[in-house]
Amino acid sequence: MRDEIVSIAENVHFIGAFDPMIRTFDIIMKTANGSSYNSYLVRGSEGVCVMDTVKKEFSDQFFSRLERLCDYSEIRYIVLHHLEPDHSGALIDLMERAPQAKLIISGRAVMMLKALLKRDIEFEAVNTGKKISLGDKTIEFLSTPFLHWPDTMSSYLHEDKILFSGDVFGSHYYDERLFDDQVGDFSYAFKYYYQHIMRPFKQFVLQALRLYNRFDITLIAPLHGPVLRTDPKRYIDKYADWSQDTRSSKNVVGKKLFSVFYMSSYDNTLAMAERIAKGADEVDGVIASMYDLASLEEQNMIDLLEESDAVIVGSPTINGDAVKPAWDLLACMPYLQSQGKIGATFGSYGWTGEAPEMLHDRMQWLKFRLPVSPLKIKLIPTEQELVECENFGREIAEVAMGKMMEMEI
Amino acid sequence: MATVMLKDDNINVKAPIGTTMRKIAQATGASMEFGCRIGDCATCIATVEKGMEFLNPLTEKEQRTLSLIENADETMRLMCQCSVISEEGEIEISYLMI
Repeated sequence: MRDEIVSIAENVHFIGAFDPMIRTFDIIMKTANGSSYNSYLVRGSEGVCVMDTVKKEFSDQFFSRLERLCDYSEIRYIVLHHLEPDHSGALIDLMERAPQAKLIISGRAVMMLKALLKRDIEFEAVNTGKKISLGDKTIEFLSTPFLHWPDTMSSYLHEDKILFSGDVFGSHYYDERLFDDQVGDFSYAFKYYYQHIMRPFKQFVLQALRLYNRFDITLIAPLHGPVLRTDPKRYIDKYADWSQDTRSSKNVVGKKLFSVFYMSSYDNTLAMAERIAKGADEVDGVIASMYDLASLEEQNMIDLLEESDAVIVGSPTINGDAVKPAWDLLACMPYLQSQGKIGATFGSYGWTGEAPEMLHDRMQWLKFRLPVSPLKIKLIPTEQELVECENFGREIAEVAMGKMMEMEI
Repeated sequence: MATVMLKDDNINVKAPIGTTMRKIAQATGASMEFGCRIGDCATCIATVEKGMEFLNPLTEKEQRTLSLIENADETMRLMCQCSVISEEGEIEISYLMI
């Protein structure tokens, strides 16, 4: 069963590899029953195109399938939809076996290819609209960057209406029956994959879907998990749904959500948080809310961070550091898109007071826009200091509402 | 100092001569994306709507990379290759996705 060749359309074959034993993928993802490294072979009247390879350790499966379908001399093109090692692991070997084949990658992949292969090879870099012909089969390339690598592209096989989507629409789900109508229920794996891999790039997902929508798609061939041939549009619709700004369903259209996350030992940082939220809330169009980090589960942190236009983090300083839940909050950001979000930090302190600056530095590396310097107050805030907190909140909220952020470097 | 306006982010920043766009992006938290950071990948392509003359001329690598991009025109630059070369002037940038 493991080396069976499966046709996904006439003269289009699955030549990937199954990995039923993998349990942790890319450090951050679990899979309960393994995964697959999908690659495909397209045979036209004037040659063969290989779509992606597999993880290096699984090269034997890949070459075994490939060799039963064509001679290496027939391969005219090798397409890599992105260069991640689980899809480029057999590339060098394949290029040595088929030296006449032209490698096709996206424009963004050029530098990465050099780093990956450590040698000079011939390739063609393509962008949206570039087509190659295999005689009776035509492949068009689509630039779909950041899904989930910067160099990701997709391609469309016109005659068979197949979308080769790269990692988009993938699942870490092992089932050699391969097709979505024959495998078990993989819907949880499909969503989990989106949440962990695609969620930080929602705007790029929507951009890619706009490109896909130009085409009549009858089958989606992703790089992991089941091949999707049963009403492919419903998978596209799921991605569209998950990538939408969800505010329209929460009755906060046009409002800016301003979240003040805090922890407080003696209510001093809490007092600051209350007045920062009050100041922000007084700005038209802003809804400010407060969240005690001591009682937030990680998934709730992720959801709140995603919805927030402004993320304000307050922590006291304990032994020269911010408290762990504040770091845990910011550690959720790699699941999300942080560029463009506004950030700020604050906190009451007893002795040294490093926490707000440390959190500010971290937020800068996470690419938050930080319009104001950290605000720290020694021990119990006075009324005058609390007024400063209100001004702090108001100033951040005004930037969130579109006030030009003026800075000097 | 020259003024650099990042239109998509509502950021207006005054930057001294020699400041790179990478430094501006990092200091302000601007949402522009960088990839390879050495002019090969075009992730950071942007349109310079105003003030091209206040930025350094195109680097050789930048020229080569831009030549690979269909429909690239003379207003487009790779932000990782750009720095401010004037003590004054207004530069306006808007991001592109290709």
